[in-house]
Amino acid sequence: MPLKNAHTQPHTSAPSWRWALLGLALLIAFLLPWPLSPLWIRIATEVIMWAGLAQSWNIIGGYTGYLSFGHGAFFGVGAYMTGIVMLHLGWPFALGLLISGIAAALMAVIIGYPTLRLRGAYFAIATWAFGEMIRQIATILEITGGAFGMQLPSYLNLPFFYYLFLLVTGLTYLTTYLLLERSPFGYKLLAIREHEEAAEMVGVDTVTIKIKAFALSAFFPGVLGGIYAYWVTYIHPDSVLGAQLTDFMVVMAFLGGIGSLWGPFLGAVVVQLVNRVLWLVWGEGTFYLIIIGAAICTVVLFIPSGIIGLLQSRIFLPGTAWKEIRKKVKW
Amino acid sequence: MLIDGLLIGGLIIVVGIGFSLCFGVMHIVDFAVGEWVMLGAYTGFILVRYFGHDPMIYLPIVFLIFCALGWAIYPLIYRAVSGKRHNPVLMGLVFTFGLSILAKGGALSVWGYHIQSITTWLSGKSLALGPLTIPALRFSGFLFGILITLLLMLFLYKTRLGITIRATAQDREMANLLGTDVRKVGALVYSLYAGVTGMSGILIGALFSIHAAMGVKYCTMAFFVVVLAGMGYVPGVIIAGLILGLLQSFVGVYIGGRYNLLALFMVMYGVLLITPKGILRRGI
Amino acid sequence: MLLQSHDLTKSFGGLVAVNQLSLKVEKGTILGIIGPNGSGKTTFFNLITGMLPSDSGKVIFNGQEITKLRPHRIARLGVGRTFQIPAPFSKMTVLENVMVSAFLHTSSMKTAKKKAEEVLKKVGLDEKADFQVLNVTLEDRKRLELARALAIEPILLLLDEVMSGLTPVEVKSAINLIKQMHHQGLTIIVVEHVMDVILSLCDRVAVLDYGRKIAEDTPQKIVNHPEVIRAYLGERYRARG
Repeated sequence: MPLKNAHTQPHTSAPSWRWALLGLALLIAFLLPWPLSPLWIRIATEVIMWAGLAQSWNIIGGYTGYLSFGHGAFFGVGAYMTGIVMLHLGWPFALGLLISGIAAALMAVIIGYPTLRLRGAYFAIATWAFGEMIRQIATILEITGGAFGMQLPSYLNLPFFYYLFLLVTGLTYLTTYLLLERSPFGYKLLAIREHEEAAEMVGVDTVTIKIKAFALSAFFPGVLGGIYAYWVTYIHPDSVLGAQLTDFMVVMAFLGGIGSLWGPFLGAVVVQLVNRVLWLVWGEGTFYLIIIGAAICTVVLFIPSGIIGLLQSRIFLPGTAWKEIRKKVKW
Repeated sequence: MLIDGLLIGGLIIVVGIGFSLCFGVMHIVDFAVGEWVMLGAYTGFILVRYFGHDPMIYLPIVFLIFCALGWAIYPLIYRAVSGKRHNPVLMGLVFTFGLSILAKGGALSVWGYHIQSITTWLSGKSLALGPLTIPALRFSGFLFGILITLLLMLFLYKTRLGITIRATAQDREMANLLGTDVRKVGALVYSLYAGVTGMSGILIGALFSIHAAMGVKYCTMAFFVVVLAGMGYVPGVIIAGLILGLLQSFVGVYIGGRYNLLALFMVMYGVLLITPKGILRRGI
Repeated sequence: MLLQSHDLTKSFGGLVAVNQLSLKVEKGTILGIIGPNGSGKTTFFNLITGMLPSDSGKVIFNGQEITKLRPHRIARLGVGRTFQIPAPFSKMTVLENVMVSAFLHTSSMKTAKKKAEEVLKKVGLDEKADFQVLNVTLEDRKRLELARALAIEPILLLLDEVMSGLTPVEVKSAINLIKQMHHQGLTIIVVEHVMDVILSLCDRVAVLDYGRKIAEDTPQKIVNHPEVIRAYLGERYRARG
């Protein structure tokens, strides 16, 4: 029998222990704020936010195969939208989030139509240029506060933000599972990623499907950006539109394993925890960049399917590991 | 102001030619291009600090160092973009992206956020050219740009090897069919590109300033030039470099310096959408 | 008349790949297209399926002009095609590959799966349904191409060199498969290099050379057509000698 990659096998049903594991993880996630100190709640909140962002990127980058190097723009637009709605219009936060999500998705539809015609490197550069464009615009516009940014009304309630992020990130994963792993839509996306012309030849409306995927992958960052703005209360172009946003989404998704449901989650947990632990040990530093850079290069070179691929190939079992090493050495 | 822009453009052309060839031959977009510039600048800076003398004499040394570096890294890049890999273009993108994070992180960890500068014997001197006064350093930077561009063009158009490289950049599959060892050509192009880019780094460092996060600016300019030129098409780079200079000067003078980057990104995005093969429609 | 092309033209730069090509395919027949490499056969398929825009000319399918339609619309109308070099969705299983096609007419996972299993059985791939495409042989990939095209329930099937690279035994079974599909009412256009295949399958044969049609007739007459021998058959014999 051929090797099966679980993440490309949407129709095989998960064994029951997986559901048990998922339930346990959810339970832990729910109870997590109790034993943790405020600092660690903050870190846990960040991890969850990044898990959602990485998965959103994964929808277009991993499942559809279009590397968006400007995805931070959707997060930033979401953050600014909520800020503008709350600050300038005086509308409630919840409405702000909705508007943020819709604005990000709408923007994805508008730019997606011309941009998604580009492939490979061209698409990557175009989205990168677009993302940077949005950042420049935010530093110039008056309504966003220019380079100085924007101060939102403050609401100090760590658990509230923790659970809100948990909810939205949870929805991101649920949507990915239902729409991408268990429905025709997901099959069509994979088909586009694997061979776009062949997908067209069997009747897949690639233009529409790609735009839908892009909008979906922009909607969640928009909402998450909105929550983030209210959480940190002070936003400026570098904090919500900085290059590091896109960088981290890409890095987390790749490290964890693109095109898989749980890869981005693992990637987010690993990267953000490493980042924060180093920060706790050494203070504000840049050393984590070296680790992340080296890790991403290693993943591309040796384990293109990411951490999740590593786990699935059971490489940690002594026998398999030995075989792998011999194979690699021979190579 | 106008002259300034052209001077910068002249240096970016040098970087852009290598970058464009890399894309043509290996189908790789090097997100680390700005980091090569940054590392080149720092290498020059360190050489000057420890051995003294004028940075200009280190140009060939830095060129050789970076050629070697490029040569050493190339097998990794080749591995990333070839073989049974699922999506080579994307893997290549992410690999160089990782390299750039690594280099930037390394530079930030070693040198921090301090801004350094390289002083040369030309610094502070200026040339009178009719009514214009041009800082001598900028002028020499411009001359360097022209010189290296000329040398590269001579190499690419007049030598057998250069013609092979150009042919490969324009149509890799065809070159492969005709028996060109694409892997070897790639190694050559990559190390040449790394060398030239590192070398330009010294001049850029001397002209402006050196800091660990400087890469992104030059990355932006290189991408701009190559996108306008049409990726993989060398002569376009020269025109695009001049356009870059003019655009920077024009925006700086008439609209305001803070719109400079916005203008670059908007033009780049627009060109990609309207004519992805570059303004001359000669890219691949 | 199921498919008609009128003066269809396509050029790449200075090279005219398809030159004022007019062809007709009667419902329920098999048309063979032969010609030397680069004579425009695959380009012709790409024009019909909408993968490439034509420079001028018209394509009429089932009484409807489809020249400017997007590929997925053309597929929906009932034009299926295979690729000369198999173009499977590599990271999916054989079954999933065919399910993508089945989704054209249903959005139920169950129905699509059933449909895909049926088609796989028809082309003899049912035992390998759960294989990753990366792990199947060239012959199976060609069968998969066929299965994918069949699963969209086409009226017209375009087969682009499905026999190339197959062993004589495999060719024989492929011919039987195509005949079987033909008997079930499919109209088929076959692009092929192997003359035996053309002779045993086709009702009519068109010969292309430099994008132009130089002859069209029954297979028996085509092999004796002087211009065809000069442009195509002769050339091949020369190449052999």
